[in-house]
Amino acid sequence: MLESRWVRWVGPGVIAFGALGSLAAVTQGAGPRSWTPPPCPDPGGPGGIAAAPAPAGLADLNLEAWFRMDPVIDNAGTLRGQRVSLGLDGARSIRTQLLPVESFAAGPFGGIVLVGSDDGARSSLQAIDVAQGCAWSLASEADVIRRATIDPSGQSVYETRVDRATRADLGVWARPLDGSPVRRVLDPIDPDDRFGQTFSTEFGWDPSGQALAVQSCGEAACRTRFVAPNAVATFGALAEPDLGTMIGLKDGRLVGYLACPGFPCPIITTDLTTRARLTLADQAGIGVLVSTQDGPRLVHETFTPAGFALRSVAIDGSGATELGPIADGLRLHATPERAEAATRLPSGWALLAADGRIAPDGPADRGQLRHVPDGASVQLDEVIR
Amino acid sequence: MTINRPIRWLGGALAALLALLAVASSASAHGPDPLLTTQRWNQNQDVRYAWRSGAVPPSAYQGAVNAAASDVNASRGSQAATFGYSAGASSLIGYGVGATCGTLGLACAAPNAPTSFTVWMREQGHVFDWGSLRWCQAYSSWPDGCYDVENIILDELGHVEMLNHHANLSGEPDYLDAVVQTKSRTKPSAGYSTHRFGRCDVATLQVQYDMQSWGAKYSTCLSLATTLAIAASPTAVAKGGTTTLTATLKVADVASYSRLALNPVALRTVTLQRRPSGTSSWTTVGTMPRGSTSGTYTMALSLTARTDFRAVFAAPSDEGLVGSTSPPVTVSVGQ
Repeated sequence: MLESRWVRWVGPGVIAFGALGSLAAVTQGAGPRSWTPPPCPDPGGPGGIAAAPAPAGLADLNLEAWFRMDPVIDNAGTLRGQRVSLGLDGARSIRTQLLPVESFAAGPFGGIVLVGSDDGARSSLQAIDVAQGCAWSLASEADVIRRATIDPSGQSVYETRVDRATRADLGVWARPLDGSPVRRVLDPIDPDDRFGQTFSTEFGWDPSGQALAVQSCGEAACRTRFVAPNAVATFGALAEPDLGTMIGLKDGRLVGYLACPGFPCPIITTDLTTRARLTLADQAGIGVLVSTQDGPRLVHETFTPAGFALRSVAIDGSGATELGPIADGLRLHATPERAEAATRLPSGWALLAADGRIAPDGPADRGQLRHVPDGASVQLDEVIR
Repeated sequence: MTINRPIRWLGGALAALLALLAVASSASAHGPDPLLTTQRWNQNQDVRYAWRSGAVPPSAYQGAVNAAASDVNASRGSQAATFGYSAGASSLIGYGVGATCGTLGLACAAPNAPTSFTVWMREQGHVFDWGSLRWCQAYSSWPDGCYDVENIILDELGHVEMLNHHANLSGEPDYLDAVVQTKSRTKPSAGYSTHRFGRCDVATLQVQYDMQSWGAKYSTCLSLATTLAIAASPTAVAKGGTTTLTATLKVADVASYSRLALNPVALRTVTLQRRPSGTSSWTTVGTMPRGSTSGTYTMALSLTARTDFRAVFAAPSDEGLVGSTSPPVTVSVGQ
């Protein structure tokens, strides 16, 4: 039973987009020929690969997976599909899948990138083992799967869904990777005029895996609910209309922006127990959480007359440190859902990339690493040779 | 002189109180738009933008973006920056995925005044949880539920100027007071295709960038205290002699008024009043003609007895200035 679950072909999740070849895409990078991953032979599923620890050092980056999503846009400016590019940081080859308009990619979870796609009738979810170049088909649902994530221990996939006809929120569903039944772990979020209709729902894990933040955002402001996966119970919510998108969750603190229309924007932490807030940055650009030997730190852009610079601060507000300017053309790589691109880095490092996203040709293309403890810079292509 | 002092102090205290009230109203709902950033462009800075390479907006939308820039220039009501397209400019407007936007919103802005800015707009058909984005300009006949590119980019350029979202009253009866709004509207909701800044957008732009002229109207979203002083020259005349009374009208000197503080207020109606010294009832003499210096108003009168004068500026109904009355000045008359 379990074995057959993992060897289903991923065809339903990948739409043939031959016609897309004729489109004049706004996006850059590899051509429109679509890669169809073969099924992964491992009957154990993707959980073990998804739970792989982060790279210990720069020397381990070669085998780290990356992804980047790009819209495929016709000459009139209309979205006709999505393109996900996949690769390993140290490899030159890039695999590209063409996907329907309503698609997403998430991860990497260990060596796994989740790719969801909806063909207008069903939503499919596949777990791609980027290193092996194969995929497990995880789901095919009549409802629309909007986003998905894998818990840090690699045990379950969590999905947000909306109703196909009405686009009504259907809550969050857990899909154990051991084949146990799918169950809803979070109810649909209640309508609230302060936030308006929901534009996006995103996941954020505490690195311990003990807490999952589910953030539902209106046009500008966000509500966040928290799930304890082991207890399969919600343990709190933040619904304050001056709060914006999250950056990360760590040790009972949610780090995120206020509800801004762009940048610059304040970044604050909210203690989930006391609701106390602490401002970490008054006028920040892109921000990410970076683990260091001394604990998690917020690394964020600052705006200076000479251009962008980097600053870091511990999430308790202590130890603010200037990390120097950012070279022209580079930005701090944003969180995966913001950048629609990601790779994993060793503890203590932040990635700078053109336009704040992994380049179409992969992270090594102009990518630069900044060492958070001391501000030292390293060209990514120098460490993955 | 000593008589005037407590009156001046009282006037100052009143101005400060009014200023506090104005600041209080801006901090709660229905005040001037709050600030997104403290970094300003230079006054009347001509900021040029270009299309982002690899993410060029389709031609159908470029016209609407340029129209939005013209809307800024026409409706800023202040010395805020102006915008216009120039190939090769350092400020970029892009279409499609932008790392600075995040997962929500129709478009986003990142000003870095006074150097440059970036704006991104989502692509037609972008799928949100609620459904697919439709830009009105993508259709020959605009369907209900579409967003007007020109209106949305006007909102974004408001952010670029430094405006944050307007704080609406409950139920949003004041939605049309600002284009820079948290929640955008679709056709056919009121305001979905507004193509000029609202009065509460303009209010903040005026505070931050100053007025285009001393005679220009202050936004009715403001409630600025004014100060009115009057002087006589000479202050003593022979019986039947003439004195010239000069009133000076200014915006009060309040820190939160930023660039508007102490502005001369010209081309308004200032009324001269008089009373025989030692009496309490004031009589209106008439409207004081414009003086030679901005914000001054003068009138010459011949006197036969010692007389007190004061100037009165009644709060206009069409702009955000609070009325004020000058302390009196006394002109002595000799035999």
